[in-house]
Amino acid sequence: MSAVTTVGQVFDAMQQAKNDASAFCTNFFPTQGRLQDWIDHDALLVEQRAGAVFFLRRDHEFWHLYFCAADVPTLRRELAAFPSVKSEPVAVDLVGKEGALDSLLSAVEFAGFRRYCRLLRLARSGERVQSAESSPADAQVQWGDPTDLLAILELLEASFDRYADQLPMPYEIQAALAARQIQVVKCDGMLAALLYSETQGFTSTVRYWVVAERFRAQRLGAVLMRQYFASNPAVRRFILWVTADNENAVGKYRHYGYAPDGLTDHVLLNSLIRS
Amino acid sequence: MKQLPNILKEIRPEFDFTASQDFIADGMLDSFDMMTLVATLDKTYGISIQGTDIVPENFKNLETIAALLRQCGVQP
Repeated sequence: MSAVTTVGQVFDAMQQAKNDASAFCTNFFPTQGRLQDWIDHDALLVEQRAGAVFFLRRDHEFWHLYFCAADVPTLRRELAAFPSVKSEPVAVDLVGKEGALDSLLSAVEFAGFRRYCRLLRLARSGERVQSAESSPADAQVQWGDPTDLLAILELLEASFDRYADQLPMPYEIQAALAARQIQVVKCDGMLAALLYSETQGFTSTVRYWVVAERFRAQRLGAVLMRQYFASNPAVRRFILWVTADNENAVGKYRHYGYAPDGLTDHVLLNSLIRS
Repeated sequence: MKQLPNILKEIRPEFDFTASQDFIADGMLDSFDMMTLVATLDKTYGISIQGTDIVPENFKNLETIAALLRQCGVQP
């Protein structure tokens, strides 16, 4: 494998796999900004193979695998022969419409990956939230600042699954704080809850919404969510990913008008990740 | 054959694609939508859009997508 040093290198490698492809398949949907971030942090490797290209992205102590292949049989053959999935801890996400991923799942499982969990994408329109919920009088929503970085990192790591939820690296949290993407509630100077979102034009994505365990049942999560909607009046489409079997979280999002939009994400892990 | 705005509308029905000059900056198409659009355009027009052409600049608005299709030999 070799390090990716330019964004153009990624697109050139993808093109190699796409040449003469009969049924091109991929799980790689990078934005240029995110690619550049990964390259700047030496986090992206590439390996070109016959009819396929594999990318590995470093994430804490494991790797995310991305692929582009001429077709599923090529993916099946090349992935099974790809040395890094035998020697490194690797996770892979397969994103698509439910029911359309069977052949990809089979190809990835053939290479030794096991199903770990499934995420659903939920979406809601930009309609106003009608809610009679009261708010605790002393809950003040504010933008997180750089001094919150460590507490945010700890809360995310304690509350989310690193394989399924793609936890941000410290540099990503720093950038999100600078871009005012993290709203927080503090109680007695401690981080009690946060909502981490990314808004691009008319679409906004909730990446993480969490209340620290000792501050639950005080409606702090509701305060944050209502403030989030209120602070994005121009947004027409709100989306997020949630673990499919987390009925508690799905129920809470449904309460705010979110519903599955048909897109699903199967997360698979290789045998070097013991979880 | 389906018109480009209709193809886009099928992917993201909540947006009016004739009213934007920058679908990416306006949050109307994300990277997953872009790949879905490429697959739909490939299938609809019987072409193969090159990987090197799958960049946000080519999917900014109706004009840039039409220019990309023309480059592939299609008159949208």
